[in-house]
Amino acid sequence: MRDNKIGMRTSTAESDTVRLLYRYIIEAKRYDARRLLRDEVERSGYDETLQGVLEPTLSMIGERWAVDCISLAQGFVAGKVAEDFLDIREKPASGSARDASVRSDASQAYDASQASGIPRRIAVLGNVEDDFHSLGRSLVVSFLRLEGWTVVDLGNDVPAGAFADAAADSGASVIGASAMMLATARRAYDIRQELVRKGLSDSVMLALGGAAFSMKPELAGELGGDGTARNALEAPALFERLRLRSGRLATGPSR
Amino acid sequence: MTPAERVGAALSGARTDRRPFALTLSLYGSRLLGRGASGYYSDPAVYASGQRSVVDLCGPDIVFGPFAFALEAEAFGAVAERPPRSPPTVRRPAYGSPEDAEAVAPPDVEADPRLRYLVESVRAVAEDQRGRRPVAAPIVAPCDLPVLLLGMEAWIETILFEPRLAEAWWRVAAGHFAALGSAYFAAGASVLVMPVMLANPAILQPEMAERLVLPQLSEALSRLPGPVIFHHGGNRVAPQAGRFASLPNVGGLLVDERDSLAAVRRAVGPSVPILGNISGPHFSSRTAEDLSSRAERLINDREDDPRFILASSGADVPYETDPRTLVSVRRAMEELG
Ligand code: B12
Repeated sequence: MRDNKIGMRTSTAESDTVRLLYRYIIEAKRYDARRLLRDEVERSGYDETLQGVLEPTLSMIGERWAVDCISLAQGFVAGKVAEDFLDIREKPASGSARDASVRSDASQAYDASQASGIPRRIAVLGNVEDDFHSLGRSLVVSFLRLEGWTVVDLGNDVPAGAFADAAADSGASVIGASAMMLATARRAYDIRQELVRKGLSDSVMLALGGAAFSMKPELAGELGGDGTARNALEAPALFERLRLRSGRLATGPSR
Repeated sequence: MTPAERVGAALSGARTDRRPFALTLSLYGSRLLGRGASGYYSDPAVYASGQRSVVDLCGPDIVFGPFAFALEAEAFGAVAERPPRSPPTVRRPAYGSPEDAEAVAPPDVEADPRLRYLVESVRAVAEDQRGRRPVAAPIVAPCDLPVLLLGMEAWIETILFEPRLAEAWWRVAAGHFAALGSAYFAAGASVLVMPVMLANPAILQPEMAERLVLPQLSEALSRLPGPVIFHHGGNRVAPQAGRFASLPNVGGLLVDERDSLAAVRRAVGPSVPILGNISGPHFSSRTAEDLSSRAERLINDREDDPRFILASSGADVPYETDPRTLVSVRRAMEELG
């Protein structure tokens, strides 16, 4: 059941664990949140915890963030908790066979999708050239990874050509470029031009985000972007839409 | 009335011949000089002549010192970029880790060339105006300075999870704030403008801001010898307006375009001046007609509110803005009375 992905789910019954995790994040109790998730993984496994606890919690946070009821600091804590959870997968405390062997549902999903011609969940992220405001990008990267995306993170101050090259090399279906200032946001247009020049416009979608685009969402389209998201928890849903679109474009209208 | 008398009257709730207005045209002076922004942010004489051009073009009632926060960061050792058409920005923060707090040597306001530029620009603008117009000096809030020194992620993490380290950064930031703020007043600033990001409810929820930021911000503000305009910092402030207006030395509130002026007025009571709220960064994408009708709507909305000054909100009016749009705001203000 993948309908409870972050940013996509509408509210359903909330379990006590979800409510507790939500409270820990809201109150910036990162270590309590981590302990709760670790206990939950011990009890019911990684995928169960991801789908039954963390994703519903993050989607509650996403819903409230979208209506400005969550502050950036709380979104930041949510990002840290997402990173901590990925860490639990990498380094399970008990080393139990179950934890070590369970592959995330998401990774199985993209293997299956590849067979159907839909590109895998691979994205290239970076801040545009001359932009050094990494926080927004880091949060987007955390939430994408949690959703099973493989992310090639190019860091700050990335030239347009490097975005396009990394996408071609990694087989990414989406490039996500972040910019805080209007002045640097204009560099996003260079990425579009690079994609056109390299003939990648149909296979690689361009997501744009950051304070400049939150302030003027219409800018994303003007600068050649295929979409934008106002906060990091909305990014995975956007990337998923773009991935499906790149699949449709790459395989032609009949698919 | 001179602009200074007009602003003074509005601040004290007295009658004025027309509404005063202020536009953040710190950057725009460089455009009016027909040159790029880079040399503008290093020579006080050039900066002041840019502000004279601003006054000639659209006669605002308040003029500004340099709105160039990256220069404060540069004084601490950050590497700043000087783009041709926008204010400087930080390329690399000065410090790699929150643990560096104890090693920070705060720059000397009189000796550091960047800080001297900032203060001397305020002095040059004030000397030009000779009391005719109040000069507002933008200053980085002490809660935000560590963002420029460490990066946003590291500072949020420090505030939330490392209270002991945060304390050390507060000491650095508050000391610098008091020193630079005092130098601005001594150079002729009438008021400081302090954008506040890290206490804004969009960045930090009010309970946390109350616990982790406002006590220290309050202490730093109380060290200033003059008043501060509390600037919304690019996010709405209405829900916390009453609290922010109650901080020491806060002499007015500049609010976001998305804030309701009526709601802010209800929150702060009748005696606190309110400024706002046409978004500065949006000036380049709006027409002259649009801007003058926005000004008209705001003036009508505040008809019975003497302590209101029409102002641009947020950051600088962009370099690309058509000068006619600025002139249209001036005309609207003159016609509306
Ligand atoms: C905090 C802040 C500051 C801090 C420092 C910020 C920093 N990181 O360095 C301080 C106070 C020091 C500051 C200074 C300045 N600032 Co400032 N600042 C802000 C503020 C309030 C928040 C920016 C921020 O860091 N947000 C946190 C991050 C995590 O949020 P975000 O970037 O929006 O990212 C989120 C989403 O956009 C999304 N996202 C991010 N990337 C991506 C990518 C993809 C692909 C997707 C899908 C989504 C996505 O997810 C993130 C998390 O939800 C904004 C106003 C605002 N409301 O946003 C102004 C703002 C960005 N600043 C502005 C300006 C002008 C400046 C100065 C140049 C002012 C001056 N004249 O000196 C200086 C420059 C300083 C510097 N950086 O060198 C303007 C920019 C306007 C413009 N024309 O470009 C803004 C918009 C304020 C305004 N409305 O006027 N600032």
